[in-house]
Amino acid sequence: MTKTGELSNIPYDDLVVDERFGPYDEVVTAHLASRLAGPIGAPTVASFAPPAVYPVLFLRALRRAMGGIPAGSILAKQELEFVRELPVDSPVAVTTWVGAKEIKRDRPFVTIEFEIRDAEDQLILTGRKIIVWPTGPGEQA
Amino acid sequence: MTPELNEFLAITDTVTQERIDTYAELSTDFNPLHVDPEAAAASEFGGIIAHGPIALHAFFRAMTGWLGVDALPAGSTVSVAYRAPTRPDDEVTCELREMTEIEPGKFELSAECLTQDGTVVVSVRATVTVPEAA
Repeated sequence: MTKTGELSNIPYDDLVVDERFGPYDEVVTAHLASRLAGPIGAPTVASFAPPAVYPVLFLRALRRAMGGIPAGSILAKQELEFVRELPVDSPVAVTTWVGAKEIKRDRPFVTIEFEIRDAEDQLILTGRKIIVWPTGPGEQA
Repeated sequence: MTPELNEFLAITDTVTQERIDTYAELSTDFNPLHVDPEAAAASEFGGIIAHGPIALHAFFRAMTGWLGVDALPAGSTVSVAYRAPTRPDDEVTCELREMTEIEPGKFELSAECLTQDGTVVVSVRATVTVPEAA
C-alpha cells in the first residue's frame, strides 16, 4: 500500500510497520549534486550523484511521508547500501516505510527504511535511519 | 591499482549557519533546531544544531577523494552512528581509524568525525570495492 500524508509527530503507537509511503518522484539534478559533492553549497562539478545526495533524498521523502523527523527525536544511526551509480539529472523514485519499532534499554527505537530506484525501476540504493522516537508505547505526541 | 592508506586524507568541513540553511533548502528539513535561533535557544540543545548528515559530510568527501570518484562504487556500504550534535563554527574533521583489505580490491574501514575539541560526533564503518581505474 502506498499513500502520502502529514503525520508529523505521529505517536509511537500509531506507527504501522511495513506501511509504504510513496514512491515519491525526485530528480538528482546537477544543481543538487554539485552542492553536495564538495563543501556543502559550494558548487563542485559531479557527473554522478555523490553519496551525500542520498541522506538528502531520505529527508525529502520523510517530509512528504511523515512531515519530517518528529520534534524531540534523536537520529541515532544511518545505514546506506549503494547498489548502482546514478548519473546526474536522473529521475528517481523514493519509497519509505517503518521497518521496525522496538523498545531497547527503555527507549523507543524506530527504523525508517528507504529504497531508491531509477526511471528503469533499477535499484540504486537502500538505506535506513534508526531514530529514538520522542514518544513510547502509550504516550501521545 | 590499490589506493594507499596514506592517500585517505583527513578532510575538514566547517559548519556554518549558511551551510545549515543550504542543507535545509536542499533537504526541505527546516526543523527549527537548525534554522530558528530563538526556538533552538529554548530547546534542550541551547542553540542551533546542524542536521545530522552534515557531521557525516567530511567522511563522504574523504571517501570520494580517496577513490577519485563522484559516487561510491556499487557494493559499497556505510553504517553511521551519530554520537553528538554539531553547531555553527564547529570544524569537523574525518579521520581514518582502521582499514583492512578483506578480499582483493575490497576494503573494510572505520573512521570517525571529530570536532575541534576532539568530540567524536560520528563513527562510521564502511565497506568499499575500489574501482578498477582508481
